Amino acid sequence: MIKNIYSFILKRYVVITPLLLVLIVAQREEYSQLTTSGTFGSAIRLAIPIMLAGLGGLFSEKTGVVNIGLEGMMIMGTWFGAWGGFTYGAWQGVFIGMLGGALFGFIHAIATVSFQVDHIVSGVAINILAAGVARFLNVISFEDIAYASSTASPRITGEIGKMTVPFLAGGPINDEETFNLFGNIENLDIFLISDFAGFILGFLSNISYLTIFALAIVPFSLFILWHTPIGLQMRSVGEYPTGSESLGVNVYLMKYIGVTISGALSGLAGAYLVIGGTGIYLEGQTGGRGFIGLASMLFGNYKPFGILMGSGLFGFADALQLRSPQAVHGLLIVISIFLFVLVLKTLFEKKYTQSLISLLFSGAFLIWFLNSTTIPNQFVYFTPHITTLIVLSFANQRIKLPEKIGVPYKKGELT
Amino acid sequence: MTRMKSKWLILFIVFGLILTACGGGSDDAAEEEVVTEETAEELDSPATTAAAAEPVADPPSICLVLDIGGLGDLSFNDLAYSGYQKAIEDFGMVGTFLEPDGGGENRGELLELCAEAGNDLIIGNGFLFDGAMNEVAPNYPDINFAITDGVAEPSNVRGMLFKHAEGSYLAGIAAALKTKTNNVGFIGGVDFPLIHEFEQGFLAGVAEINPDIVVQIGYASVPPDFSGFNDPVKGKEIALAQYEAGADIIYHAAGGTGTGMFEAAKEVSEATGSKVWGIGVDFDQYYQVGTPLPDLQEYILSSMVKAADVSIYNAAKATVEGTFSGGASVDDLSTGGVYLSFSGGYIDDIKDTIEEYQAKIISGEIVPPSVRP
Repeated sequence: MIKNIYSFILKRYVVITPLLLVLIVAQREEYSQLTTSGTFGSAIRLAIPIMLAGLGGLFSEKTGVVNIGLEGMMIMGTWFGAWGGFTYGAWQGVFIGMLGGALFGFIHAIATVSFQVDHIVSGVAINILAAGVARFLNVISFEDIAYASSTASPRITGEIGKMTVPFLAGGPINDEETFNLFGNIENLDIFLISDFAGFILGFLSNISYLTIFALAIVPFSLFILWHTPIGLQMRSVGEYPTGSESLGVNVYLMKYIGVTISGALSGLAGAYLVIGGTGIYLEGQTGGRGFIGLASMLFGNYKPFGILMGSGLFGFADALQLRSPQAVHGLLIVISIFLFVLVLKTLFEKKYTQSLISLLFSGAFLIWFLNSTTIPNQFVYFTPHITTLIVLSFANQRIKLPEKIGVPYKKGELT
Repeated sequence: MTRMKSKWLILFIVFGLILTACGGGSDDAAEEEVVTEETAEELDSPATTAAAAEPVADPPSICLVLDIGGLGDLSFNDLAYSGYQKAIEDFGMVGTFLEPDGGGENRGELLELCAEAGNDLIIGNGFLFDGAMNEVAPNYPDINFAITDGVAEPSNVRGMLFKHAEGSYLAGIAAALKTKTNNVGFIGGVDFPLIHEFEQGFLAGVAEINPDIVVQIGYASVPPDFSGFNDPVKGKEIALAQYEAGADIIYHAAGGTGTGMFEAAKEVSEATGSKVWGIGVDFDQYYQVGTPLPDLQEYILSSMVKAADVSIYNAAKATVEGTFSGGASVDDLSTGGVYLSFSGGYIDDIKDTIEEYQAKIISGEIVPPSVRP
């Protein structure tokens, strides 16, 4: 038992050490924003689009099709979401946004599966095409409508509701306030327990139904891909298409399904940005979140819950830099100590060069932390990107790619 | 084999991340094409009609190039557009307006397009046009150019400047008098000197009334990423954080990002039951935001209006009358180029104090700081 825990910690030290360090650093007053419910709530809202794009990437890449067109499909999601939301209502907008993304996923599938176009080339084309198409559609659809322009849509009609869980987070029942269990625990400021309560509260309080819907897709994806026959078929064509075909699997069909679902999920990510945000489509709103989604997929090692964690990390860093540049300063010491842990680990493994490099960086971060009280805004702003980069470079060593990813497959091929 | 591939993939992802950090530039090249095609067509029509009607005197023509965010940002660009439209109506001008691509890299090309089409007055809306102006304007000495919020070297370019610090100072006075929590906020779009004018003016105004008031400051992006003027999702998150930390009034200088702030004001007010406010910028946002989004109107305390529309109108007027001159022209409280709006009547009760400070600024007794110390 103890041995199990020990090996678990050793295996997951990349995740566990920084988490622990953050919790400890957050006890200082000036860094307290690191673990408040507000930060976690904000992190969830910022993470969802990235997570959905990451899940989209998962469905596509598991069937062997590289999809860097996620960003483009997301752009289609933003526009179709806004258009559907404006014309029919909020939930219809979500659905139409998914259809818009699925359409572009389908185009990607036609190019890569039926015509064996290089996956990267097709993906880039999708991204370029989507940006132009969105603007074009926006100009022709909203031409005579008040408060719209070539780069912005009018506001959607209707709203997606929000809820706060009663008793646990103080949500109302019949307009009467109830006890706020986790809120009270958070305010008690007990080490670890209050931080954890803040984390839970972020999920329970003031949460949009759309967010719940999006989060539900994570276990659903896991179920579809790993616990259904069609999921098995989809994964098999990514690993060994020739073998799958010899066993009667329709390889093309599976790839089409995977890439189209991928588009639909990216479209949902886009629709979430619009409908979960201010309800207006703005050109360039996706801001590269599709690419970050791809990174979160690699971070998560092609596992739905891994993707959730990867995007959560990015969302957390983003929320932190937006909410409290002060707290970002606390991350310096976290990085420094984490690198020192690495020094010990590499020393233990007798990798002396790596150990030396880590030691140097660890010292540099420590000196920076001690000699400053704030971080220049430029660095604060890039926190999410840098965090993802650092974590990715430590987490990538055990990534298991689908065997035949990015390899065009012709029906009846014998290799 | 797998290892090799994963290395490449990771390299690719890193590259993607860098692109993202630079503002998602990968799409821009394509967009540029789309825009130029579109605009080339748009531009054709005034040019050809002018040629056909040669015997009759050409109507004066005006070309407005908007900045990132484009029309519909409910702020800076819409403001310029309204001045441009008024000029067209009043002087019978032929108008063309263009919008840059998402990253705004094609500013120079758009100015060039306008110039080649033979417009009499070309306006670049935003200080980011200064480089493009320096390149394009010298080649067309007979055409009048104007740039908002910036200056350019060529003698045929009028730099239309505003003393943002003066108006922001009054916004600070209003916020300090109205806050109940002694805690206010400021949201800037992009962390660079132009927005620091707003920030510093606001800080000075708040401190003038009560130096103990806490001012929280947040920015949506840093240069060279100017997406912070067009990201309501970030505006909302920053505002939510500031309201949660006790602020009850936030002043934004963030263009379209500010819409998210008003959204947050509504959300927080409804959730907590105690009302929080936002102060708008550029336009009188009580009407500008409040008309298309009526549910947000009651949270707009006031706005620091910057009459760029009037400056553009005046530039057009000077062009038509032949009195256009280049160089910098500065608008401030005394010329009415910036002012604090009283729409909605939420700050009518402190009008006297505000006017008192306004008089002091105009007389030079108070000089609001416009650069960071």
